[in-house]
Amino acid sequence: MTDRSGEGPEGESGAPVDFDRLDRIAARLATDDRFDRIEAEPEFAPGRIVGRYDSGFYPNRIRAAHLEIVWFENGDFTFHYHEDHEGRTFDHRWDRHPSDHNARDHVHPGPDAPTPGSDASHPSDWRDVLAMVLTEIETRQRGFWTE
Amino acid sequence: MKEPDPELKASADEREERPDFDALTPPEAVARGDRTRDDFFDAALELDAPTTVGDVAERAGHGVDAAREYLEWFERIGIVRRVTESPATYERNREYLIWRRVQRLRERYDTAELVDSLEAETDRDEAFSEAFDAADPNEVSIAAHASATDRSVEDVWEDVSAWKTVRDRIALLERALATAPGDTADGRSAV
Repeated sequence: MTDRSGEGPEGESGAPVDFDRLDRIAARLATDDRFDRIEAEPEFAPGRIVGRYDSGFYPNRIRAAHLEIVWFENGDFTFHYHEDHEGRTFDHRWDRHPSDHNARDHVHPGPDAPTPGSDASHPSDWRDVLAMVLTEIETRQRGFWTE
Repeated sequence: MKEPDPELKASADEREERPDFDALTPPEAVARGDRTRDDFFDAALELDAPTTVGDVAERAGHGVDAAREYLEWFERIGIVRRVTESPATYERNREYLIWRRVQRLRERYDTAELVDSLEAETDRDEAFSEAFDAADPNEVSIAAHASATDRSVEDVWEDVSAWKTVRDRIALLERALATAPGDTADGRSAV
């Protein structure tokens, strides 16, 4: 439930999007060869940044993949990884926020990111969260190329 | 995360073109960067409370001398504020960060666009206020509202966070309009 330990009153009341942090994340991702381009607040995702993965990391059956990021001033976040295949999709989310289905830190695992997801423990520093997510995605990308 | 399903994997032909993952910057280095300036800039933006030079060095993953140098530079350009002298402690200068966002709005949009955005955000603000039957997002208890309206905590959290974001934007847009160059005193462009 929502009164899990570790949830202070601040976290329980929500917080605005931390645009300074999103700028820092976007600046980091913009230097990385994994991404074709970084979009700040596209029409379909206000208050978020979207990194479009270079299609060269995927076989032809995967048409496109992106990572959508929102970070809040109290440290809450959502990282949402999405792949478009022929006729279906793959979604996986790493979340930190209050919910009535999981602990504050949790993942909604692929292929369809169901609710409830699984409880998890994410690093506290945004840079470690970013590294964790990029690493897990890279492991999946490498998996496309093994027999 | 889940391994790709076998039918999604690269065909034998495709595998000859396997991307060179090992040539990529490791994720830890993407997140941390390899430039000292970026590391200190990231660390400076985290300083919610007065922090010593030694602690800043540790957060940035560099030495104390470098930390002192960068903090003095950041203080000159306004990113951080020195709070105490001995020992020297610093905290981030929120005013500067807000000022920078206001400047960016003014660079990217003309006055008419800023006015349009302000109207759109004000409409969203009113819609949230009506939906929550509250004057301010800080009045809303997420858990209480969720159970009273039979919605999930996650849904309500998302709306309250969006409402708070709208409030922030309104404040920024109002500041950008109040200081827009060449405008008349009431903040509206004559052009």
